[in-house]
Amino acid sequence: MSGHKILIIDDDQPLLVGLTARLKANGYSVVCATDAVSAVAVARREVPDLVILDLGLPAGDGFLVLERLRGLTDLVATPVIVLSARDPADNKKRALDAGAVAFFQKPPDNHEFLTAIRQALGETIALSTFLKT
Amino acid sequence: MILEASGGVDASEYLPLSVPMPSCGGGVIDDSDSIELPPKSLADLLDFDAWGEILTTYGRTMRVAVALTDVHGHLLGKCHNAQPVWKLLHDAAPGWAIGCPFCITTHLPCTAVAKALETGGGVMVRDQAGLIHVAVPLSLGKLHLGAIIAGQVFDRYPEPLPLRRVANEVGVSEQQLWDVARKQRPVSRATLQTSGDLLCALGQAFLQQRYGAILESRLAETNGRFRLLVEGVRDYALFTMDPTGCVTSWNVGAERMLGYAEAEIVGRNFSCIFTPEDVQNRIPEKQLDKALHAGRAEDEGWRLRENRRQFWAHVNITTLLEGSGPVRGFAIIMQDVTERRKIAIVLEEARQERARLQESFLSHVSHELRTPLTAIYFFTTNVLDGLLGDVTPEQREHLASALDNVKQLKDMVSDLLDITRVETHKITVEPRHASPVKLVADAFSTCRTNATVKNISLRSGVAPGLPFVWADPARVRQILINLIDNGIKFTPDNGTITVESRLLAEDGAFLCLSVSDTGCGISPENREIVFDRLAQVRSGAETSRSGLGLGLFISKELVSRHGGRIWVESQLGHGSTFYFTLPVFSLAKLCAHVFTAPNLQAGSVTLIAVDVVAVEGTVQEDILPELRRVLEGCINPDQDVLLPSMSDAESAETFFIVGCTGFSGFEVIASRIGLELRTFDNDSKLKPVISSTTLLVEPGKSGEEQIAEVTARIERLVQAHLLGKESLK
Repeated sequence: MSGHKILIIDDDQPLLVGLTARLKANGYSVVCATDAVSAVAVARREVPDLVILDLGLPAGDGFLVLERLRGLTDLVATPVIVLSARDPADNKKRALDAGAVAFFQKPPDNHEFLTAIRQALGETIALSTFLKT
Repeated sequence: MILEASGGVDASEYLPLSVPMPSCGGGVIDDSDSIELPPKSLADLLDFDAWGEILTTYGRTMRVAVALTDVHGHLLGKCHNAQPVWKLLHDAAPGWAIGCPFCITTHLPCTAVAKALETGGGVMVRDQAGLIHVAVPLSLGKLHLGAIIAGQVFDRYPEPLPLRRVANEVGVSEQQLWDVARKQRPVSRATLQTSGDLLCALGQAFLQQRYGAILESRLAETNGRFRLLVEGVRDYALFTMDPTGCVTSWNVGAERMLGYAEAEIVGRNFSCIFTPEDVQNRIPEKQLDKALHAGRAEDEGWRLRENRRQFWAHVNITTLLEGSGPVRGFAIIMQDVTERRKIAIVLEEARQERARLQESFLSHVSHELRTPLTAIYFFTTNVLDGLLGDVTPEQREHLASALDNVKQLKDMVSDLLDITRVETHKITVEPRHASPVKLVADAFSTCRTNATVKNISLRSGVAPGLPFVWADPARVRQILINLIDNGIKFTPDNGTITVESRLLAEDGAFLCLSVSDTGCGISPENREIVFDRLAQVRSGAETSRSGLGLGLFISKELVSRHGGRIWVESQLGHGSTFYFTLPVFSLAKLCAHVFTAPNLQAGSVTLIAVDVVAVEGTVQEDILPELRRVLEGCINPDQDVLLPSMSDAESAETFFIVGCTGFSGFEVIASRIGLELRTFDNDSKLKPVISSTTLLVEPGKSGEEQIAEVTARIERLVQAHLLGKESLK
């Protein structure tokens, strides 16, 4: 049980319920936000260890959220994994360029998705060194 | 031309005319115009009774035996003094058949007549007895009538023939005879008087005398009708130009379409009807050039009317030739198709708009479907994995089935999106150096679950040691999964799916992969349509099917994007085999601009190996693509090639560069790599280890051999390098 805190930003309530259960079962604590404005507020308040971000959000685009998160001192190095229904052909590169560590199209494979989360959380320690810990 | 039949039946050969015999321009009155005569006129022209008297005179005057044949060499009638010819021919060729008097060899029937008509000159045949016979062609314009055959011709007349008397006897004027003869070949009067040219000239002059008037009136009539036709055409611009592009004639249609009156434009260059941009880009000249080389040119584009307004024209240019002689000019047919063009533009816009709407609709649908699908996926897997408590075996079975269907739905949604990309030409492939063995293994691991359900075994006959392919691994995986899943779908329980591969025998640059099943097979008429969009073959026996029927359509598109092709062979009841080809990875092709003859000869082709090592620990795999981009920035793509990942090993942190560098160039690349890497990795946790080998090739070998040699050596060096590194670990 790592106890890392994960923030899920997604406006789809059923997804929040389903994914939260999965993450909790894997030992993470979970907080949620359902629109672009509250997302940043929740992120500032909770200072999560990792963010799972949808791209299509009420009150703003996921890319906007990503940009704002990158502007916050506390969250500048927090890994963001994009989980979106959008076409990766158009959005994956853009998301990675904007600072996301991974892009998953919905629905993701549980195993691959959790592996990416674990990797991203491990990476935060030596992110700039490019070395495996 | 001499057709010699001296040694018997098959010893015939054409010899150059060595003696002054009938030579060229045999019966051509006017070779620039071709007319067709009605059958009656033709029969008149070949009426033997009309010819009989003149032939007799002709033979007597020239002191030869004479007969008339049609174009096939068939005798049309006998002259009393022609007898010696037939007698002689009969003696020369005992197998000679009536009706084909000039066939003195069995192998070349009537060659002399055919040859005479083809060349337009007299053709001389020497028979076994050493006697010479001549076939004189009779043609009016391009119309072949037949030939006059003269037997027992002299090489050279022992005494000059008096031209006037000869002419008078045949009924033509001396001047006419002389003109015809001169037109055939520039001969002196003295030569003509003693040579066989006279035979041709006389026959020709006679033809002209008797039939010239008929022919001319016929020509005039045809020309007149043609002129009326051309002038009367109002919907097409018809005009002619000289070889430089200056207008020489202009019909009413041209005047209506382009606004210039005939008097205004004749003599002007046709570039005045082109737009200024076209004139600047030398389009008029280019079109004439094309017409000159190909004989014709076709074009569609904007043209200018006299009032400078544009219209969209469809243009045909035909080159006018004079026989095989110089270009006389060009004929142009032009049609105003502005309306058609407008409609085409509107239709194309509508098509694009429809495609765009369809894409945005399908992309929206696919997006909207994915959201609930994701929730279902999470809830199903959560319960199935026991996150909410224990699950009974029966519940597990149902949930597993639900999950299966979620995956199917997900694939269908992906297909929907792919199809819109195919239709808007957005589907992309990113070819890489890929191992076919690994691609098949990957696909099998995905398809295994589906196969297990029906107890279908998956067999791979893909042998290690095959060459690598140049393909997008994700896309090839998609194609293979499509084909394998398809096979599973149409194969009854306990069947087998086999994937095999072979190099194409006819083209070693392609690898052919095949997926065979033991299913129901595809009927011949359905084989044609399986690759069509939304094709799913219905058959009574098989009812359990799923999918949108887009898999093969998308696969076909993906294969063709790789430059390969896909097809199916099948026998109803015995299963189907789908084949597709992928280009084989070729170092020689990738490095073609490095492996040039000068580079190879100068010995400047260099293989540079860059091992990126971590000062502590190991290099993380995730940054390999980044590293690759850094190295790409260090080379000059015009001179050097950064090879694709050459190993399937997980830690592929060795990069290879093939360059045309020599030692100094190598130092430049090495220092640039060091510098760029420090910028990229400012903590200095990474360090490049760079080595190089300059490849000298054996001189004296051909370019292809040198390329093969250098390719093989690079491959060996790369393998040795990777193996060496492996053993160090």
